[in-house]
Amino acid sequence: MSKEKTKMIHIQIDGKSLEVREGTSVLEAALQAGIEIPHLCYHPAFPSEGSCRMCLVEIEGRPDLELACSFPVKDGMKVSTQSEEVTKARKNMLEFLLAEHPLDCPICDKAGECKLQDYYEQYGFFESRFEEKKEKKEKKVEIGKTLLLDQERCILCTRCIRFLKEITGTRELGLFNRGVHTGVNIYEGNPVENNYSGNLVDICPVGAITDKDFRFQTRNWFLGSGPSICPLCGRGCNIDIEYHPGFPHFPVPKRVYRIGPRENHRVNGYWICDYGRYHYSYIDEDRQEQIVDNKKEKLDSWERVLDFLKERIKKLYYMNKTSRIAVLTSSWLSNEELFLIRKIFQEDLNVEKIFLTDPLPGEEDNLLLTPERSPNSKGASQMGLNFKELDLNKLAERTEVLLMFGSHITEHFATAQTQEAIGGIETKVLLNPHISDLNSLMDVVLPTCVIAEKEGTLTNVKGLVQPFSPVFEAKGHCRPEWEVLVNLAKKLALNFRYYSPFTSVKPIFKKMQKEIGFFGTKK
Amino acid sequence: MEEKVLTKNFGVKNSHRIDVYLERGGYQAVQKALQMDPDKILEEVKAANLRGRGGAGFPAGVKLGFVPKEVEKPKYLCANADEGEPGTFKDRYIMTHDPHLLIEGMIIISYCVGIHKAYVYIRGEYEHIAQQLEKALSEAYDKNYLGQNILNSGFDLDVFIHRGAGAYICGEETGLLESLEGKRGYPRLKPPFPAAIGLFQCPTVINNVETLSNIPQVILKGAQWFVNKGLPKDGGTRIFSVSGMVEKPGVYECPVGTSLKDIIYEYAGGLKEGKKLKAVIPGGLSAPILKPDEIDVPMDFDSLMEAGSMLGSASVMVIDQEKPILDVLRVISDFYSHESCGQCTPCRIGNSWINKIIHRLYREKGKKEDLDKIIRLASNMKGKTLCPLGDAAALPILSLTQKFREELETYTES
Repeated sequence: MSKEKTKMIHIQIDGKSLEVREGTSVLEAALQAGIEIPHLCYHPAFPSEGSCRMCLVEIEGRPDLELACSFPVKDGMKVSTQSEEVTKARKNMLEFLLAEHPLDCPICDKAGECKLQDYYEQYGFFESRFEEKKEKKEKKVEIGKTLLLDQERCILCTRCIRFLKEITGTRELGLFNRGVHTGVNIYEGNPVENNYSGNLVDICPVGAITDKDFRFQTRNWFLGSGPSICPLCGRGCNIDIEYHPGFPHFPVPKRVYRIGPRENHRVNGYWICDYGRYHYSYIDEDRQEQIVDNKKEKLDSWERVLDFLKERIKKLYYMNKTSRIAVLTSSWLSNEELFLIRKIFQEDLNVEKIFLTDPLPGEEDNLLLTPERSPNSKGASQMGLNFKELDLNKLAERTEVLLMFGSHITEHFATAQTQEAIGGIETKVLLNPHISDLNSLMDVVLPTCVIAEKEGTLTNVKGLVQPFSPVFEAKGHCRPEWEVLVNLAKKLALNFRYYSPFTSVKPIFKKMQKEIGFFGTKK
Repeated sequence: MEEKVLTKNFGVKNSHRIDVYLERGGYQAVQKALQMDPDKILEEVKAANLRGRGGAGFPAGVKLGFVPKEVEKPKYLCANADEGEPGTFKDRYIMTHDPHLLIEGMIIISYCVGIHKAYVYIRGEYEHIAQQLEKALSEAYDKNYLGQNILNSGFDLDVFIHRGAGAYICGEETGLLESLEGKRGYPRLKPPFPAAIGLFQCPTVINNVETLSNIPQVILKGAQWFVNKGLPKDGGTRIFSVSGMVEKPGVYECPVGTSLKDIIYEYAGGLKEGKKLKAVIPGGLSAPILKPDEIDVPMDFDSLMEAGSMLGSASVMVIDQEKPILDVLRVISDFYSHESCGQCTPCRIGNSWINKIIHRLYREKGKKEDLDKIIRLASNMKGKTLCPLGDAAALPILSLTQKFREELETYTES
């Protein structure tokens, strides 16, 4: 974007003076200033279509109402979005849109987050004057693995068609028939099959495209929403996690119901991939919620486990045998957690056997999904940790204390193989948010948090460091790894003054910025 | 007096063949034009006040002037031969009887603007005419009026024929472009206008067949001659398509400004079998209807506008007293609700809604408020649609419902 092109001009919308960039549309100018002009077919990611006709506004000097979505601002322009003529036209347009609409809001999954419903409530409130027979169209077309289309609810904004044309280039949807019989559909036998299909549900302004994964699971108004970062690949897409906070008197089957994109033009734009959208079960399912004490030494509280660990590590430390400690880290840890591992084990204890166990790389696509299947591989590589090549024999050789973060080692070696290698290690502790095959091989398993339950920063593949904070409370006895590490460091009393301010993630981040060049140069 | 300028070859044996066309003075305008400076041609067309014959009546010269001169991209010409406006059948006569007249006009415009590829977008139903045009094109290629280095002038032009698939909306210029590009015939948002961004995103001239067929005589005889033929601000003659309950339906070439009354009673021989006149649609189905006391009106764009109607494609449809006006309303509404492309809300829903009400009036006695509802729906559609189709439907429905309210009220509860 060249700077000389951004000429600023002055316009007025509803009497409010605005300075806007030349070339912006009236609608964009209004939205930037927080003035709402109703619109259905306009989406900032695509060129204007101008088909819904909801955004008609009055522009001084123009004989007819003009489309705000496609009309460019001009210096001195005066726009009215609330004049009598505009509100009348808007109401009339809504009447057209709702005339053939099935009005099945009570059983519509989109109810509560439907633009048509919202606009009727804001600008409509008329009684239906449509007394004719409504058009019959297809009510339940399977247009994709997770997508259902209701042609009767569709208002033909063509956002879905344009998404598949402009963003994925896969063009699976098209328009069929003409006039009032027009309907969106797939070309015979060729469903929507790309890694971004879930976005169609988000951009559909009405209840025409619904998600089989979410459909009839709950009502969307019961859900709370929190910002987070998708940890399923290295892109670091910004997401909103929608979860059920629970009812007072009867149980709710699960917490997380839906993942949606959170707009960020430095990372993911308006979209997320289906891989990130539909694999959210890791947040709630197969979670390690309690401490597992296979040693039966009453290691049943965090306090006791940490004391136990402290004793084992201290012993080796005083014997100058910290080479007998091995730490398995993972790129699923945050920058701060990896930094603490570097401080405690690599610097304070001189541990040499530090390994990185990441998920095996997966397929990538040309839009967002990266081959890395962890959120912080870039951060791990920039932390100055001297990772050793992952080798079970080297890992186990003369090792007395094994500290393992995450269970991704199971993707690299068969469990029996791991068992054989590490079987002889005296103390084996696993910190893991999930139940895994490794549980039985360990002395102690400690339940930790998933990204959605903790605070920290992640470095995406492009080197962007992004903060995240807890969306909801941790399950069961789960604790975030950074907290466990700080508590361990305090117990080890290696450098009390250094670790004592680390009561939250912020001071750790600040220290990391000071000490690790990569993070110092970034925000 | 019926003026034979555009139609002078009509009725001449084998007039569609190039040898006959040449014998009768054909392609002389091309020879003259290729010697002229393109800017001079543009001036001449502008001065002729030739207004578009397709329906909108936009001055052809002004439209040509909108095409940017210096562009890297190629420019295109599209002859709009979709002729979808009900009641209009003049272009098919030109293309049947005098295809080379159209080709000659296309060559001159292409030379004037610097176009090397031109298309004729012809409606699908005109299959035989398309075949005949193909023959005419190959004759023109053989004689080097088309192809490389036309008549040693250094100017190249290729003309292609593209058949539509039967949609009224593809006669709308941007719907036509989409269709020509192989897409669904959906009109585009304007601006940008085709003169700047048209076919394949390149500057494009789109003219009606009759408009283009007027170009040769403008070049040969001059702008002044052309203006003298018609009116100062609306030059030349027009081919009127007259249909309905008249003695002699057909095409009549008359000077712009000829009275509608004369067209019906003089040229078309008055109403059939002594029937009485009830109404006239003067400019294609989308023109607001006129009552018998309103037909003493000169047939030019401005006069008809003043009379509350429009000249459109100059298609005169004559309706006699015996015809129930509800039938006329239904035919209009059937057409537009069938042909609405479905892209924008008001046209898609408005037309269908109105149509459903009208059909209900056939089945059962209508409600008192039904006529007002039709008027309200048509008004809400008017001026709010993406392309002119919404207005084309709203205007005749509004005028008919208002002007013949009394008769229509016999179909509703009082």
